[in-house]
Amino acid sequence: MAKSEPGQELIMRPAVFHILLALTTEDRHGLGIADEVEQSSGGWEIGPGTLYRSLAEMVEAGLIRSVRAPGADADPRRKFYRITPAGRAALSAETRRLNQLVDAARARRVPIA
Amino acid sequence: MSAGGKRHRSGFQLLLRIYPAGFRQAHGVEMEQLYRARRARARSLPAIAALWFRLIADAISTRWALRARGTHMWRQDCRYAVRQLLRTPGFTIGALALLAIGIGANIAVFTVVDAFLIRPVPYARPDDVVHIYQDDDDGDPGSVAFPAYRDIAASPMFSAVSASAPGQVLWDRDDESIVVSIEFATASYLSVAGRPPMRGRWFSPEHDSVGAGAVAVVSAPAWRSRFGGDPDIVGKTIRLNGHDVTIIGVGPATLAGSFDPVVTDFWLSISTVFIRGQAWVSNLDRREDHWYQVRARLAGGASPETAQQAMNAIAARLAVENPAIDRGRDLTVRRARDVSLFPESRNALTLATAIVVLLLVLTSANLANLLLVRGMARAGEVAVRRALGAGAGRIGRLFLIESLSLSVAGGLAGIGLAHLALAALPLAPLPPPFSTAVTLTIDGRVAVFAVVLMVATGVLFGLAPAIRSGLLDISASLRDDRRTASISHATMRLRNLLIVIQVAGSVVLILAAGLLARTVVALHRIDPGVDPERVAYVQPDIHRSDLPGADMPRVLEEMRVRIAALPGVTHAAAAIRLPAQRSGTTSTIVEDYTPAAGGNEIEINSMNVSPEYFDTMGLRIVEGRGFTRSDVAASDRVVLVNQAAVKRFWPGRSALGGRMRSTARNAPTRTVVGVVEDAPVVAFPEVPARPMFYVTSTQSPLAVGYIVARTDGNPAALVNAMRAAVIEVRAGVRVQSQGTLASHVGAALALPQFLATIMGAVSMLSVLLAAMGIYAVVAFSVARRAGEMGIRMALGATAGRLVRMIVGETIGIVGAGLVAGIALAAILVPQLDALLFGLDPLDPPTFAAAVAVLITVAWLAAWLPARAAARADPGSTLRG
Repeated sequence: MAKSEPGQELIMRPAVFHILLALTTEDRHGLGIADEVEQSSGGWEIGPGTLYRSLAEMVEAGLIRSVRAPGADADPRRKFYRITPAGRAALSAETRRLNQLVDAARARRVPIA
Repeated sequence: MSAGGKRHRSGFQLLLRIYPAGFRQAHGVEMEQLYRARRARARSLPAIAALWFRLIADAISTRWALRARGTHMWRQDCRYAVRQLLRTPGFTIGALALLAIGIGANIAVFTVVDAFLIRPVPYARPDDVVHIYQDDDDGDPGSVAFPAYRDIAASPMFSAVSASAPGQVLWDRDDESIVVSIEFATASYLSVAGRPPMRGRWFSPEHDSVGAGAVAVVSAPAWRSRFGGDPDIVGKTIRLNGHDVTIIGVGPATLAGSFDPVVTDFWLSISTVFIRGQAWVSNLDRREDHWYQVRARLAGGASPETAQQAMNAIAARLAVENPAIDRGRDLTVRRARDVSLFPESRNALTLATAIVVLLLVLTSANLANLLLVRGMARAGEVAVRRALGAGAGRIGRLFLIESLSLSVAGGLAGIGLAHLALAALPLAPLPPPFSTAVTLTIDGRVAVFAVVLMVATGVLFGLAPAIRSGLLDISASLRDDRRTASISHATMRLRNLLIVIQVAGSVVLILAAGLLARTVVALHRIDPGVDPERVAYVQPDIHRSDLPGADMPRVLEEMRVRIAALPGVTHAAAAIRLPAQRSGTTSTIVEDYTPAAGGNEIEINSMNVSPEYFDTMGLRIVEGRGFTRSDVAASDRVVLVNQAAVKRFWPGRSALGGRMRSTARNAPTRTVVGVVEDAPVVAFPEVPARPMFYVTSTQSPLAVGYIVARTDGNPAALVNAMRAAVIEVRAGVRVQSQGTLASHVGAALALPQFLATIMGAVSMLSVLLAAMGIYAVVAFSVARRAGEMGIRMALGATAGRLVRMIVGETIGIVGAGLVAGIALAAILVPQLDALLFGLDPLDPPTFAAAVAVLITVAWLAAWLPARAAARADPGSTLRG
């Protein structure tokens, strides 16, 4: 398959999906994203290389953008990231796709416990 | 933090090295924080191992993904490089032209040289094929007597031995007769060649003796060109020399003849030799005449060395059996591979190869110089980029891409140029009846080699500025740009050194090229002996005019007289042949002379001419007298010899009064009454001259041959009048050939001239290339001093003085290069000594011309930009 920008793939890379998900509620820096991903996914430790490479690519693709650290106490050297409307749209599309998959699995009575 | 923690930390930093520097710098700190948080949670050894396993896998996969994105950056750099090249069109076009001309000329010359001079042997398994030579009377390896061929063919050393003899015959077609080239060949000919006929069959062993009928095999190129590839050719009958000959096959697809790529039209069987006359039939049993080329295929287990031993044994046996003929007459075996098609051209080949190599070196030096000079000019740009944080790697890549795209584009343009040049070449340089089966196609290996060399040069010298940039102090470079008064001494020295190298290389090239050009001129001007400018000839075919044989000499003489009376004709003569026309020899005994091989008989060229011949041809009688009409059959038999014959048979004394006779039955003994200056006997040019004797048609009636006439007008205009005169004397007689002597000897020169013309063009190209290279380097470095000149002008220097200073300095540097180049040439050029046609390799005119060209170019290259800079407003120059 030809390489494409994050958010443009037929199937979104899990790292991208998780990062978008982590940014839906608030702006976060890299470490914060990693923590959030770990919690929301039930313990997946996203690799540091994967994390920062994905962040760079997602900024370039316009799914997220980097913003100034919120609050006076935050470390100014830390880059925070915010999801963009395009990012939300991509997240919704991917969620819809996953939902369809889950529906399909349920219809075939795939045991989930 | 614990000592253990510190160790882990350095471990992770090691891991970080996997990432590209940019990525590491941007995210390394945060990545390490993430790592530390995770490492703190991993308390068991398996958990730590699992963590590290994931980290390493993550690093590798990320690195891989980033590499893919890196190609993106390459594309960006390529775009930048092309933009950069387009921004300096002068430099780019100049560099491309240099590369294209250099590479194009190189490929074109190699292709021609390859096609004509180092063409592979057209036989299957050519390593097993040898040529066998029999000594001529002078002891030099030459062609073979047919009986000796039979002796050789019996040797177990060979799986097949063939004999062939080239010649020309007249082919009668519906409404015209044309001369075609033929080869008499034995049945074994194709076994030696190792190639099957395309159609029909080849001769069988019974065709190797007279009586088996007249059969021919048409060569594949002639089948296509002369018969349009007629599929029903086999079984057809053609008329050659007035005899019916049956075509029994078409030759091998990839063989043009024994002299491939020169096309033989027909192979004729040995049983067909009678169509050229009884002499060819009796020749088959004569050991005196050597008319056949012998080639053989080594049997399994035999080598050229063992074959040579076997040939020595045969030669020794023949010397005992026929001492009068074969004593001291050796047989020589040579590998077919080692036999060049045109041995005379080998010198030219060596010279051409030297030029090609030199051309390639200079092209590559030109490119290197241009890139280096350009690199120096961009020291400022590099410094700015470095100061802005670009790594040496990135800058190196930029320069690399730039010089690579330059070399690749130049290389491609060069190949295109070579294509055009080869397509424009006349592909039929040989006179009729010869044609060539050469196709000039570019050899892929050469093209690749030339382009790879240029790319390597581009890489090496394109990187130089980047490498220097890594070593240079950035702030110094920033200051040391155009605006500063003087450039650093190191830079200056390097630039001057470049000019010296460029000039020195150019001197050698121009000198070699000049010598080549003069060799070409010498080839053109070589004294033909005869004066061809005002002589025309016509060859009436009296032989087939149904005249009784006894009347032929009278008719020929009538024609000569008629032609002599034509307006504008000053002399007219009859001759059995034209000069420089291959022919058989006469077995002759010269009294008081003992040849090196065999008995007293020697094979010598002779010619039957009418008394007017020498005046007509412009040949001087250097001693004694010429023939007169009073030399008649009843008077003493007389003979004229040429100077080469005197040198050989009567060295150091007068030939007058010398006596000789042909070994033919009832041949009279003739007395030498005069010596004629040398004229080409069988080939043109002919070095050294061959011995030759002339007999007069007033004593030995001349029945067939040529009528030659000298005019004080245009000989080309005379040809048709001569033809008309011939037909007036005898209606219905055909004219077999006609033309001017200049075109006849010119035809003999056609191939050497063709090669010489190409090499001459190459030498002109070399001069052009050298001039362009010097101009580029000098002009560029002078232009770079515009800033310095601006300051000097601001300080009060006059424009005139400035220009004089710059030009003077430049000429000084160029002078150093000249001295170095001349010294180099003095060492190298004498190696070419043997190749030159009587030219002193270091002859002053060539040298002077080379030096003059270079100084002029260097002067222009310094003067033009210096004047431009001096005229410019100093203020604007300084503001840059």
